[in-house]
This record gives sequence, structure tokens and C-alpha cells, in this order.
Amino acid sequence: MKILLVEDNEELADNVVRYLDQVGVLCETANSHYQAEDKLLSYTYDCVLLDLMLPDGDGLELLKWIKSRTNSPNVLIISAKDSLDDKIKGLDQGADDYLPKPFHLSELLARLKAIYRRSKLEGSDELNLGEISIHYSTFQAFVNGKLLDLTKKEYDLLIFLITNKNRVLGKQAIAQHLWGDYTDDLANFDFVYQHMKNLRKKICEAGGKDYLKTVYGIGYKFEENPS
Amino acid sequence: MKLINIITLLYLSLTLAGLLIGGFFIYLKIDSEIEFEMGRELDRQVDSVADQIRRGSPYEGLVDDRLEIEILPMNRAEESLNLRDTLAFHDPNDKQVRQLKASKSYKIDGKHYRISYFNLLVEKDDITETVVFTMVVVFLLQLAFIGFFLRRISNRVFRPFQNSLNQIQKFNFSSNEPFEFSKSKIKEFDQLNEFLMRMSAKLLKDYRQIKEFSENISHEIQTPTSVVRGKLEHLMNEDITEKQAELIHSAYQNNERIQRIVRSLSLLAKLENNEFETPTSINLTELVKKNLEMTKELIHVSGLELEQDIQEDVFSVIHPFIAEVMIQNLISNAVKHNIEEGWIRLQLNSEFLLVENSGIPLRKNPEELLQRFKKESNKTESIGLGLAIVNQICKTYGLSFTYTSEGSIHSARITFG
Repeated sequence: MKILLVEDNEELADNVVRYLDQVGVLCETANSHYQAEDKLLSYTYDCVLLDLMLPDGDGLELLKWIKSRTNSPNVLIISAKDSLDDKIKGLDQGADDYLPKPFHLSELLARLKAIYRRSKLEGSDELNLGEISIHYSTFQAFVNGKLLDLTKKEYDLLIFLITNKNRVLGKQAIAQHLWGDYTDDLANFDFVYQHMKNLRKKICEAGGKDYLKTVYGIGYKFEENPS
Repeated sequence: MKLINIITLLYLSLTLAGLLIGGFFIYLKIDSEIEFEMGRELDRQVDSVADQIRRGSPYEGLVDDRLEIEILPMNRAEESLNLRDTLAFHDPNDKQVRQLKASKSYKIDGKHYRISYFNLLVEKDDITETVVFTMVVVFLLQLAFIGFFLRRISNRVFRPFQNSLNQIQKFNFSSNEPFEFSKSKIKEFDQLNEFLMRMSAKLLKDYRQIKEFSENISHEIQTPTSVVRGKLEHLMNEDITEKQAELIHSAYQNNERIQRIVRSLSLLAKLENNEFETPTSINLTELVKKNLEMTKELIHVSGLELEQDIQEDVFSVIHPFIAEVMIQNLISNAVKHNIEEGWIRLQLNSEFLLVENSGIPLRKNPEELLQRFKKESNKTESIGLGLAIVNQICKTYGLSFTYTSEGSIHSARITFG
């Protein structure tokens, strides 16, 4: 997967590039409207990560331009949290998803993968990772061919973990992915632990390995090859 | 009471007092003046009668109902003029009336005459009547004068002041217009207006600066905190020790807090600035149900019981994003500030939205919690803006919001319409 990040803040761009690089996604950056057009004309990308606030013009203009071209890439818009109108306008003009700023890198990756999956893997929407396989269209997960009896949240959690495999996911990032803003001010993330525990139990009961690792007090990690 | 009325009233009471005192003195003066003049007149009459006697007229022939002549013994000394009030019978009036009697004695041709001359005195009642009548007329004239001219003039004189007052009443921060007064020709009013103009301009400037500051700060902090968050997420994936993990976690959590504060403040600023477009009518029932669906699990995991009584198709005119924030804040507030094995009750109908929850009895006045950064618990995770945001939303959209606490029951109620 190759993506173009249009973002004028270098540090932010650096964070994204580094994160995506570590999970094997090739990410190039453009820091202005002009540069983005330039790159889009020269190369092809699977997805464009588009910040709507650009120094030299409105991101929505760029979006219009991208969508007017044949074979246009998917677009994931990034914008300030409460600019609801941006969201509506963006989606109206053909953006595939909208991610409010600030976002967790793991969340970004999950959204990207989801968009990618929807557009590129038509039909063959299966993911196989060792013993585990996921059937996206039916929202089912199997361990060694055995169907796991997961709740919707547990399924979402598993997908989120697998998408960000081998990476440490903070409790906040997990909570926000599953419950949105409701977890904002919550003191403890016991409910994340509860879900983790249940998921781990279900995978192990189905004969799977213990993929879910607790990383000190910070969060959790899905290890592809647990020892 | 209006200024002009106070002035009128004061003026009238002063006039009235003046007229009363003045009337009293006028009465005394008229009374004594009449007596004095009449005394002089009677004196002349008496003198002329004495002259007639000197010229040889028989004194008996001169006597009439107003003239009395007595013969006194020669050895008595001549009497000088003596004026006396008497009550005497007056034929034409057929009653006792007040009369002034002037008497004087003369020695003419070896005879001693005492000549007394009477005249009717103006009755005290009559004087009083006259004085009172005059005063009443004067007072009425004054009244008419004040009512018509003075009030008109005062109104005109005070018009600049009244204009200033009207403008001050209309002043508000959101319209962002400093006072603009025209010259009034009255020095004091111009001074006042000038001061008001300067003050309003200064107020608006300060207000703008404060607003800009909070807007800028919330916008500008967003980017660096995002960067910090990303760096910390990277750091988590390095080969770290448990101790480092703890530090990262703590830094991460605090950074999240900054982000939440900044986000909430920027939302508050946007609400205050009415930056959300003219609202459309939305189905609150659907929104509440959707939000409950999303939080049901959270409520369950937190060990809370949820009771709901939701009427179908409740509509309200409010921006959809804002409505969502409002409902989210109320529900998460109820979850957050709950107790173990507590409960949440949510009621929605066309009149109100009520979110009640069990909790620790409040020590603070519940109204205080609607203010920014006021919170009951010292849980550091809570930033204390949730209710302030709900309050601001209700203010912006003209809904009424009350937060009350009765013992261990906390209730947040939004009344529509």
C-alpha cells in the first residue's frame, strides 16, 4: 500500500510516516497544495491522507481536483475535531472517510486499512494471520478454522489489534476506537481490560496461542508470533 | 421613578411650601394694610366732622349710623386717635359684623366732643378666601406651566442623557459596537458620553483580545500536543523498561488531558461566537437512542443499572453535532460521577430531557458545577468542562438547563421550548 500524506506540519507528518513505515505502508508526504498536485500528477497512490488546513489553499479544493481525475485514489480527510461542516462537505465531495484531529496513529492505520480493504480487495475480503482468519464480509473470526463467538466490540477489538499487530496500543487509543469520546474522562480503563481478557480467553479456548500481550501499564500488543 | 418625575415633584412641593408660607404673610399684610388704610380714612372722617362742628353745624344733625358723638366733661383731657376693632350690629347685613371704630375727642367752643366713626372691616374669612383663591390660581398656573413647559424643556435638556441610557441598555459584547454619541451642547453630558465611549471601546477591545487569546491558544496547542502524542506512541514501541513505561504512560495521559481541555475550550468559544450554522430540526429520540446504544456496554461494564423512558419522535431545533455533544456530555457525566452499583435514569419527552444518576451527595452548590473548571471530585481525569459545555449549548439554543442534587440523586434537566 502506498499513500500520500498532505500535511503542512513536519513533525506530525514525521510521526505518521514513521508509524506507517513500521507496519510496511509506504508513505510519502506533501506539505502544500502545490506539492500535492505535483506528486499526484507524477505517481499513483492507493490513498491520500488529506489535511484540510493547508498553507496555500483549501484542502477541499484539492479534494475536488483529486476526485475529478480518472482512477483517483481514495481520500481520507483529516481535520479539526469540531469542524462538522468540513466533514459533511468532504464526504459529499467523495472523500472515503473522515478522521478528526487529533488522532491516534493506530486509529489512522485502522481507518486506512479499512478503506483499502473496501476498495481494493473486492470479493476476497479475507485476512489470514497464522492460525487466525478474519472474514470481513460476515464479521467473523476463526482460529484454526473454528468460529469464535465474539461480540461486536470484541470483533472490532480483534481487527484493531491485528491491523496494528506487533505495535503497542495505548489503553486510550483502544478505548477511543471502541467507544469514541465517552471514554474521555474515565479514570480507569478496566473495561478495556475486561474486553481484552474475554478476547484472549476465547482465542485460547479455540486452541489459539496467547497473542495478546499486556505491556506494563500502558496498553496491549498483538504479537504475531508469540513465544 | 423617572428623573423628570422626581424633579417635577420636588419643584411642585417646593412651590406649594412657598405658596403656603407666602400666603400666610400675604394674609397678615393684607389684614394690617386694610386696617391701617381704613384707620387713616376714619381719622380724616373724624377730623372733617370736627371741622364741621367748628364751623357751627349742630352736632346732633351730623349723627348717623356710622357716626357717634358724645359730650365729655370739659375737665377730661383731649383724647388722641384711638382705633378699635369691635363687633357691632350692621343693619344691611342684619348681623353682628366686624367693624373698625376710630374715636378722637376735640374741645370746640367750650365743649368737649368725642367723635367716633365706624366702618365695616373686611371679614377675616374674606381675606383668607381671597388669599387662598389667589394662591390656588397661582399654584394651578405653576402646575400647568411645569406640566407643559418645564417638562418639555427638561425632556429636551435630558434627551442626550436618555439617549445615552438607551444605548447603554442595548450594549452587548456579541454585536461588537462601541457607543456612538452625538454632541449634546451640555458639557456634563458630553463628558459622560465621552467617558462611556472610551470605556465601551476599551471593554470591547479587551473582550476581543481575551476571546482571540483563548481561540488561538486552543487552536495552536492542538498541533504540538498531536505531535507529542505521536512521539509517545512511537516511544511505547521502543524497547523500554517498566519504569520508562510508567513515565511514558503518565506523560501520555497528561498530554491527552491537555488535548481534551483545549478541544472543550475551543468548542465553548465556537458556541459563544455562534459559529454553528442556523440549526435544523433533528430527531432527538434517534440521537439519544444511538448514544445509549453506544454507551450501554460502558454503563454495564461500570456496573451501573440503566433505566430509560424515551418518547418516540421528539424533535428539537439544534445543530446535530452540538446535540450529540450535549447528549454525550450528559451521559458520560452520569457514568463518571456515579457510585458502585449505582444507576442512571434517562427520560426524554417533548417537554424535557432528564438524566439522573446516583452519586455522592454534593458538597458544592450544584449551580457552581455549571461553571468552567468547577468540579466536585478531585479526580484528575475529569477536566470539569462537561456541564459548562452543556450549559453553554443550552444558552446558545435558548433551552433551559438545571442541575440539581437531592441527597445522592443528581439530576440534569434540559427543558425545551
